[in-house]
Amino acid sequence: MAVEIIVMVKQVPDSQEVVIDPVTMNLNRSMTRNVTNRADENALEAALSIKDKIGANVTVISMGPPQAETTMIECLARGADRAILVSDRFFGGADTYPTGLTLAATISKIGKYDIIIAGEESSDSSTGHVGPGVAEFLDIDQITYASNVDYEDGYVIGERELEDGTEVVKVPTPVLVTVLLNSNDPRRQTLRRKIDAIRKGFEVWNIEKVGLPPEWVGVRGSPTIVRRMRSIKEKERAGKKYDLTNLGELVKELYEKKVLKMEEE
Amino acid sequence: MSEFDAIVVGAGPAGSSAAIKMASQGLKVLLVERGEPPGSKNVSGGILWGKDLDAILPDWEKTAPLERYVERKVTSFLTKDSEISIDFKTKKFEQTKTGYSVLRTKFDQYLAKRASQAGAMVVSGITVDGLAIKDGRVIGVINEGDTITGDCVILAEGPNPRVAMAAGLRSKPEDTDVAIGVKQVYKLSEAAINERFNLRQNSGFAGEYVLSYLENDIFAGGFLYTNKDTISMGVVINIETLRRDGRTHSYDIMEQFVQHPFISRLVEGGTLQEYSAHFVYEGGYESLAKPYGEGYMLVGDTAGFSFSNGMILQGMNYAISSGIMAGETVIEAKKDNDFSEKSLSRYMDRLEKSPAILDKKNFAGMNKVVWSSLVHRAVPEMLESSLGMMLYENGEPKKHLTDIMMKSISSTELTKKDLIMQGYRLMRRM
Amino acid sequence: MEVEEKLALLNYKTDPEYAHITVNPKICETCPDHFCTFACPAKCYTLIEGKLNFKYEDCVECGTCDVACSHGSVAWTNPKGGHGIKYKFG
Repeated sequence: MAVEIIVMVKQVPDSQEVVIDPVTMNLNRSMTRNVTNRADENALEAALSIKDKIGANVTVISMGPPQAETTMIECLARGADRAILVSDRFFGGADTYPTGLTLAATISKIGKYDIIIAGEESSDSSTGHVGPGVAEFLDIDQITYASNVDYEDGYVIGERELEDGTEVVKVPTPVLVTVLLNSNDPRRQTLRRKIDAIRKGFEVWNIEKVGLPPEWVGVRGSPTIVRRMRSIKEKERAGKKYDLTNLGELVKELYEKKVLKMEEE
Repeated sequence: MSEFDAIVVGAGPAGSSAAIKMASQGLKVLLVERGEPPGSKNVSGGILWGKDLDAILPDWEKTAPLERYVERKVTSFLTKDSEISIDFKTKKFEQTKTGYSVLRTKFDQYLAKRASQAGAMVVSGITVDGLAIKDGRVIGVINEGDTITGDCVILAEGPNPRVAMAAGLRSKPEDTDVAIGVKQVYKLSEAAINERFNLRQNSGFAGEYVLSYLENDIFAGGFLYTNKDTISMGVVINIETLRRDGRTHSYDIMEQFVQHPFISRLVEGGTLQEYSAHFVYEGGYESLAKPYGEGYMLVGDTAGFSFSNGMILQGMNYAISSGIMAGETVIEAKKDNDFSEKSLSRYMDRLEKSPAILDKKNFAGMNKVVWSSLVHRAVPEMLESSLGMMLYENGEPKKHLTDIMMKSISSTELTKKDLIMQGYRLMRRM
Repeated sequence: MEVEEKLALLNYKTDPEYAHITVNPKICETCPDHFCTFACPAKCYTLIEGKLNFKYEDCVECGTCDVACSHGSVAWTNPKGGHGIKYKFG
């Protein structure tokens, strides 16, 4: 039986285009276009590499509004076999808790799964909660912040970058893995696969299909309350230029300002 | 049996117009665009003269993201200290508007969406690597080693058409075939724009400039258009003279335009949003490529359909009309199931009766005049000195106009004979 | 305003795997004019201690360098799908 891999992806505002409205403190999305969260592209690539090696089935799931369609087609065009968009107005306004719950319920509905892969975090909220949350709801093991993912005979081997080295862990399936941003080079979409993806389409699951009560999901199921947001003002720089061939001047100044200390003789 | 009746490469005004035309007649159309989303690679330094869209999108003026209609049109010579303009404002176009400023990222995305709604399969974020050619016929496009077949391929790649060039359907441009367009978009409030340019809420300003203040004999034109709450401005640099000079940076020519005393006050207080660059196709009638062949057609800038006489720039209108004509040709070819060169020559028959080709034919050699020292140096210098003498009091007795003109002419570098000859050519070609 | 500050406003999706433009250093070494450094509006071509330095990451895909280089050093292709410059206004 083929190994079943589920990849969790999210469509996010293009971080290079995000502008925060200085008055309302909300994201000004009027000039921002949506893209697939970059770390999730790495998650998909990790899944597709395993598929290349052992011939797994790769299913992509995402919770989001209908415009996440472009992300679903994109994932199919990169090589995923199936894509499910979990979309319903009841899911709107969810924080990370009901998001994890909804995705876990979706995965349970899909049925068989051996490996679940997600990006380490999304670039729009950067919590890193959802991946581990899904593992907890499903009560399975997890490998977080992996720089490399491999599969061998019922085990997932994950490499984790630590401050003082690399940790290699081997965990029996089923297991959830979150992968680091830029941990691999995502393969390109191809025209052939994109045409086929548009023709075949993707599935849209609503709340009935996922099978959760409305009060458990979306804004009603979210315990987080945002009390206040502040934006950070960039510090004015002195704009002083130093001659790089004469660093002595800079060192002297830093010493005088007590940024640097002389080593005791 | 091909997978598609037609494959269109490039979702700009030309490609999307072709796709809308064909898909709305029930043809199986694939529109491939390398930008994601469509429009994100596209830049324009012109006004949309959009009447041709009526034929495929009767509601376009109500549904398209248009910025402002052109109410005020200015053609100017800019010298170091002066601006000499024809400033034409008219209420004539208030009802039946003829031209609009547009921002192409939004506008092209709209057109691609309309193509999709008309039934075309729109695939963005995919680069076509090359054409599939079999027995001298174009049979489809290649991407990442896969061939997607189409009875006819329409190349709508813009003025830097790498697929057409790689297949030898268009030659690499010479210095005089293209100019470097550099553009900046500034954010400014709608109210400030209205006040500064003497406009009402939807009316707009379109300015074309001859930058005769440039040093080192470089020729460049400028443009400035008002959008709703942004201003588009930029320069169009002649490559031949930039090369001859060999010591001036293209980006400095852009900055000098922004810094010009009469331009800088138009964008004062605005914040720069975007810097961009794109070719402007400049080639004349004689350098047009053959726009069709076995199983393919070229449309818009890829075919070389653009026109400028220094006072009006046209490109998007020809893109739309040539796209529609190519679409009509495919619809006919599909009926006969004949996509041979002979069958597709009906595209050329259509083009020859249309402004896309007629404007080029009737104004052949226009470019030599537009990019001449007469237009870029002698005329503005002469106007500046004679108007300075005529319109201002300087404590001396007034002179006759002819004396002023003759004195101004003698101050320019051209001889009288040159001036008369070039002036005559200019009159003939306009 | 410097061109570097203007370029910093732009949104690029850089392709780490594929440089869509390449130059032939052997040709550039003996180039008498280095016109590319004047023509390119995105300052992708610069001279560092007399040697040509090229970076494709800032390219806005106008095609100027291909026309500007009359010595056959520039090999120009489109970036792969979705990569490269992503204009907001156009």
